[in-house]
Amino acid sequence: MKRVLSFVLVFAMMLSLAACNSGSSTSSTGSQQSSSTDTPVENQIIFGNTTELSGDLGNAWWTNNAADMDIRSLIDDYDVIVTDQEGAFVENKTVCGGIESTENEDGTKTFTVKINEGLKYNNGDPITAADYVAYALIGYSPAAKAAGAKNDAGAAQVVGGTAYMNGEADTITGIRLVDEYTYSITISADYLPYYFDVVYASLKPISLKMYASADLTVKDDGKGVYLDGGELKKEEIDASRWIYEDRISAGPYSLVEFDQASLQATLEINPNYAGNFEGQKPSVEKIIYTKAVQETMMDNLKTGGVDMLTALTDGSEINAALDLEAAGGFHTVKYDRNGYGVLSFQCDFGPTQFQSVRHAVAYLLDRNEFANQFCQGYGSVVNGPYGVAMWMYQESKEELSEKLNPYSYSVDKAIEELEADGWVYDKDGNDYKEGIRYKKVTAEEAGDYEHNVTLDDGTILMPLIIEWASSENNSVSELLSVMLANGEQTAEAGMQINMHTMSFDDLLNYRYRDASQGDQYGVPTYGMYNLATDWTAQYDVSYNFTMDPELVAAGYNTQYTQDEQLDQLSMDMVYGVESGDDAAYLEKWVAFVERWNEYLPEIPLYSNVYHDVMNDKIQNLECNALWDFAHAVVYATVG
Amino acid sequence: MAKYVLKRIGYLVVVFFIVSFLMYSLYNLIPSDPARAQLEEQKKSLKPEVYEQMYQDLRREMGLDDPLLLRYARWIGVAPDVNGEFNGLFEGNLGYSIFFKKNVIECIAEPIQTTIFINIFATILALGITIPLGIFCAVHKGSKFDNGVQVFTIIGYSIPVYIIALVFIFLFAVVWRIFPVSGMKTPGSNYTGLRAVVDQLYYFALPLIVMTFGSLGGMTRYVRASMIDALSMDHIRTARAKGVREKVVIYSHAWRNALLPVITLIISWFLGIFSGSVIIENTFNINGMGSLYIKALNNHDYELALAMQMFYTVVSLIGALITDLSYGLVDPRVRIDK
Repeated sequence: MKRVLSFVLVFAMMLSLAACNSGSSTSSTGSQQSSSTDTPVENQIIFGNTTELSGDLGNAWWTNNAADMDIRSLIDDYDVIVTDQEGAFVENKTVCGGIESTENEDGTKTFTVKINEGLKYNNGDPITAADYVAYALIGYSPAAKAAGAKNDAGAAQVVGGTAYMNGEADTITGIRLVDEYTYSITISADYLPYYFDVVYASLKPISLKMYASADLTVKDDGKGVYLDGGELKKEEIDASRWIYEDRISAGPYSLVEFDQASLQATLEINPNYAGNFEGQKPSVEKIIYTKAVQETMMDNLKTGGVDMLTALTDGSEINAALDLEAAGGFHTVKYDRNGYGVLSFQCDFGPTQFQSVRHAVAYLLDRNEFANQFCQGYGSVVNGPYGVAMWMYQESKEELSEKLNPYSYSVDKAIEELEADGWVYDKDGNDYKEGIRYKKVTAEEAGDYEHNVTLDDGTILMPLIIEWASSENNSVSELLSVMLANGEQTAEAGMQINMHTMSFDDLLNYRYRDASQGDQYGVPTYGMYNLATDWTAQYDVSYNFTMDPELVAAGYNTQYTQDEQLDQLSMDMVYGVESGDDAAYLEKWVAFVERWNEYLPEIPLYSNVYHDVMNDKIQNLECNALWDFAHAVVYATVG
Repeated sequence: MAKYVLKRIGYLVVVFFIVSFLMYSLYNLIPSDPARAQLEEQKKSLKPEVYEQMYQDLRREMGLDDPLLLRYARWIGVAPDVNGEFNGLFEGNLGYSIFFKKNVIECIAEPIQTTIFINIFATILALGITIPLGIFCAVHKGSKFDNGVQVFTIIGYSIPVYIIALVFIFLFAVVWRIFPVSGMKTPGSNYTGLRAVVDQLYYFALPLIVMTFGSLGGMTRYVRASMIDALSMDHIRTARAKGVREKVVIYSHAWRNALLPVITLIISWFLGIFSGSVIIENTFNINGMGSLYIKALNNHDYELALAMQMFYTVVSLIGALITDLSYGLVDPRVRIDK
């Protein structure tokens, strides 16, 4: 047996050798390779991510792969406005010498941004205000649009941006090059006032050499900025996404190599980096960013294939990580997810249009037990549309704990709410005793709901039957089916939940009521969906609760909420608060969360507790849901 | 012969059109909205009326509101696209990946090299072991060695390759630490020359072993059965009676006859070098065609998935033609010029 095994191994090795010899030219690396062989340095981190790099480094104008975004953050970090460890937007003092804002008579607002002198790209070229302005001139250009870049939103916010993007103007009138180290940007009145408006002022430097072979320069003759010296070509802009060799960038690290065959990136410290917004510079010399296969990543960590894994959510993986920590040589860092799995309602038809029914569903599900089971002990529950890491929550958690209803598991309360709302009949209109509850509804409330019963006297009875749309191969759905839809307590409360499994595309079409994909989707069919959501630093839910029929039809309000208060609060929160007025924002945010909790358009099911696990050689690397590896690694040390 | 080949190529073209239309139609039956998917992220940052205009423009640009037949004709390249240009499969445009935001042909370029690279050697390795082993077992039918191989191959045949991979990773990478768990090269290395070769060899060895091990059972048993049939033929007995050397009897008389049923399998194996193993590539983190196909499906990148399937369709059709032609070469009783 041993001899056979040895034979197979040797034969495999021999053929592999031959294979590798013949195929070595297939490996396409972005960096020039020396003929010598380099020994990997000690002061390095091999970062394993279950998301694979695609290699698109094109400023997020095209794709938003999380792994690619990490690389972009590592190599470009000179944005004027950045987020801090708590997810709050702050001025990047390392690059920005000050931002002044002026409100203009026509309702527009101009931000004048001073760039610090002495900043350099990784190749030593100086960075001036023109490099920041170039970001807009390239990104909003017709050539970029033709190359598939999606910057319409950014262009629309800047005065003259859309005209420039559509090729109607050669200049962006709303952006001015004031002097070598100052630019100004004027925001359209349509997008003001806006709590996050300072984000509009933020540009980042890009080197024109990367985007055009022509010798382009940024100019301003008094009417706005424009590019002089040649024309942008869509092919060159598209090609800029895939430049790896000698890529010009301005971040803590420089890309040394991107191996397209193995989809692995190698980065080294950029010696010209002036520091992040706190002036912090990296000390870890080299980062290797590679894919970790879910099934074998813990083995890979254990055997040194990677030094670190981040955002573990599966209970068995977390337990394996904790076992490694207990055995020595590794340690873990945990933090809460800034989002949750959710049971989302459509609130304009069928039983889920009634607040009492949404409340009853919440009472009938033991969310703590659900989170515990689904996250295998590594989850938590929130009572509103927030993550516990958000600064808004942190500053108001005591107030929220008093104001928010936790909807603790209680069949009695569910029944109480239902009875108070008139769900007290059986299918014949008699007093409810057992089975499914019915409610007398108006013709408007009844709509075309398929389960309605009309009695001889014309009374319309709506049964407490909820149609639930769930995507395929979804473990949340399986647990919900057991703990809610098929739970004894649900039947006891007189409620029936019918589970319908479908593809995610199908589910979205029903949720959007997208009749263009088929007539069946245009009809309100499912009152409940299980989905997931994550919050970003820019907490903006304006239009999500709009009652404008046109916007609802366009898919802005996918919960079809019918609540003026929610609509108003969600809009006021960002469009009714001046930037910088955090107190006013927080006040409206709390009011919004409180109303949301009462109206309950969705029920938060679970919020994961993420775990990072890393080799003990890595120290001071503390990520959280709003502060990812690419930002946290600047503070890390190896040793 | 030429007439036969031309006739078969004619059939292939017809089958290609039928299959391509069916597959295109099937993918278009999937109720998804690529325009919405592309713009969803910008929705929050845009005024609703601006978003709606962009959405409608994009639908028009992508031709989503046109009839299925017209979209198929555009995709295949026999009708002009919305810009009035012929730009389909026949013009060399395999499509555009909405996930990678680049042309399909660029998405495929690197993975197909890796897949061919690893599959060629896995195939040669597997055939190099299974054919001699199958012949040996057939010649020594009923011996202890043959019985042992039968048990071994039935076990190998029955265990899913996914399980084999995980067991081998555990044994070779975690317990004995002979090979790495996954990957294609040492992280961060920029080796060149012989050291790069050795490094790649080190990383590809375990997946190659797993692929080989996983394919041993089926082929060995197939060759053995075919060879046993051939060895029981009258002319073999006659050859032996005439005093022909045993090696000549086995390799010249019996193997030639046993090759007929086996050749279909061998050709299909060689054609299979273009298609990546979804399981092996994903388990060992190899950027190949199987892995890419799964990515395309998971990310609803149907144009990429469709292009890959069309490629496999063409390979299969050509493979069927080669198989038929090869019969004539191997078996003189088969005439392919009629």
